[in-house]
Amino acid sequence: MRYSTVGFLALALIVAASAAMPLLAHHSFAAEYDSKQPVTMKGAVTKIEWMNPHVYFYIDVKDDQTGKIQNWGWEMGAPAVIQRTGWTKNSMKIGDLVIVEGTRAKGGTNHGNARSVTMASTGKKLGAGSSEGQSPEQ
Amino acid sequence: MRNPMSYGFVITVALALFLQPALSSAQARGEQPPAAGAQAGRGARGARGGRGGQPALPSAPTPHWSDGRVNLDATPGAKGFWNVMQGNVVGKGGSSLPTNLTLDEVPFQDWAKALYEYRVSRNGLDDPHARCYPAGGMRFFTVPNGLNIIDQSELGRIFLISGENRDWRRIAMEPGRKHPSEDEIIPSYFGDSIGHWEGETLVVDTVGFNERFWMIRGGLPHTRYLHLIEHFTRINYNSMKYEVTIDDKGAYTKPWSGGWTIPWQTVNYDNSPGGEIHEYFCHDNERDSENFKELGNR
Repeated sequence: MRYSTVGFLALALIVAASAAMPLLAHHSFAAEYDSKQPVTMKGAVTKIEWMNPHVYFYIDVKDDQTGKIQNWGWEMGAPAVIQRTGWTKNSMKIGDLVIVEGTRAKGGTNHGNARSVTMASTGKKLGAGSSEGQSPEQ
Repeated sequence: MRNPMSYGFVITVALALFLQPALSSAQARGEQPPAAGAQAGRGARGARGGRGGQPALPSAPTPHWSDGRVNLDATPGAKGFWNVMQGNVVGKGGSSLPTNLTLDEVPFQDWAKALYEYRVSRNGLDDPHARCYPAGGMRFFTVPNGLNIIDQSELGRIFLISGENRDWRRIAMEPGRKHPSEDEIIPSYFGDSIGHWEGETLVVDTVGFNERFWMIRGGLPHTRYLHLIEHFTRINYNSMKYEVTIDDKGAYTKPWSGGWTIPWQTVNYDNSPGGEIHEYFCHDNERDSENFKELGNR
C-alpha cells in the first residue's frame, strides 16, 4: 500500500480553509483519530452511507508492491455539514475512482477521517467536513 | 440552485429571508418596520461578522408577544432557529461571557478535578454522547442541529426542541409548580425543569439529573446533586445570552456560573434558504463506539 505523508503545514492550511463554520462531530476527533498520521490514498468506491451522524464511504485500495487490495472506510461530516461544502448525494457513486486526504484512526484499523475527496475523473475536490482542529469546551 | 443563471434569484430570496425577521418582529409589536438594510436580521453568520469579513448589520430588536412577554423564537410568518453548536461555560473569548471563570477558578472538589483531568487525558474517549446518549445539562445548548423554543404559556409550558436526535426539554410554567420530592423524582438526562419570567429573562430551575452524561463536551463532572439555574435573555433578534449556575454539592465546593451567547440562524443547517431544523439521529449509523472499544474504552 502506498501512502504519501501530507506536511503538517499543508494540513493546517486545509483545516483553516475549511473552518469557515464549526464542524463539530458528536465525538472528540482526538478520541478516535491520530492527527500525526495524515494519509492520502486512491481507490474505487465500493459503498456509500449517506446517513447521520456521519457520511461513510468505502474504497478498495491496491497495494502497488503486493497487488493486494484492502477495503478502507472513511468518515466524513454529517450530511448537512458536507452539503455546506458542495456535496450532494450524487457527488460520488459506487465505482468512482477517488483520492482521499485524511487522518488515520488510532488502533491501526483500515479506517480514517477524511478531510477532502478528489474525483479522479474530473479533478474536482470537495471538503469532507472533518472536525479536526475543533477545540472542545471544558 | 447551482445553476449560475439562478444566482440572482438565490440572492434575492436570501435577502428576503434575512430581512423577514426584522420586519416581522416590528409588525408583531405593532411598530413601524425598520428601514430596509438598517435592521436586517442576518442570522448566525451575520451576527458573527457576516460573510467575507463584512461587518455585521445591526440586529432587529428583541421581539415580544402582544402581552409583552419576550418571544424566544421566530416571529409570526418568519422562520429560523437558534444555532446552538458551540458554547463554553468556562473560559473567555469567542461566544463566552466575559464573566466566565477560567478553568483554574472552577471550585472543583478534589475527586472531580482528578476525574476531569482523566477525561481530558483520554481525549474524550469515554464521552457518552459520542455513543449518542442524550446531551443533558447545559450541553443541550452546545450540540449542533438547531434549537427552537416553543412557548405555550397558555398551557403552562415551554418546550425546548433540539435538532440533535430530536430531543426536547419541557419547562413547566404553571404558577406554584414544585419539583417532585427527592423520593419521587427519577433521575433523568434532562431533569425536572420549572420556569418563570424575571422581566425580560426566562429563568429555569432544574433538578433530578442522572449521572450518565457529561454536562459539557469537555467532561466537567457532575453528580446526582446537580441543580442548574439557567437564565435565557434574548439580547436582540439575533442573539440570546445563556447563563447557567452550576450548584452541585457532590462535585464542587460552591455554586459557580458561566455561559455564552447563542446566535439566531435564518438559513438551513446546510446554509440553503429555509431556516428550518433538519432531521438528525445519531443512532442511525453510529460506528464510532466500535472503534472506541478497540482503543480501550471501558
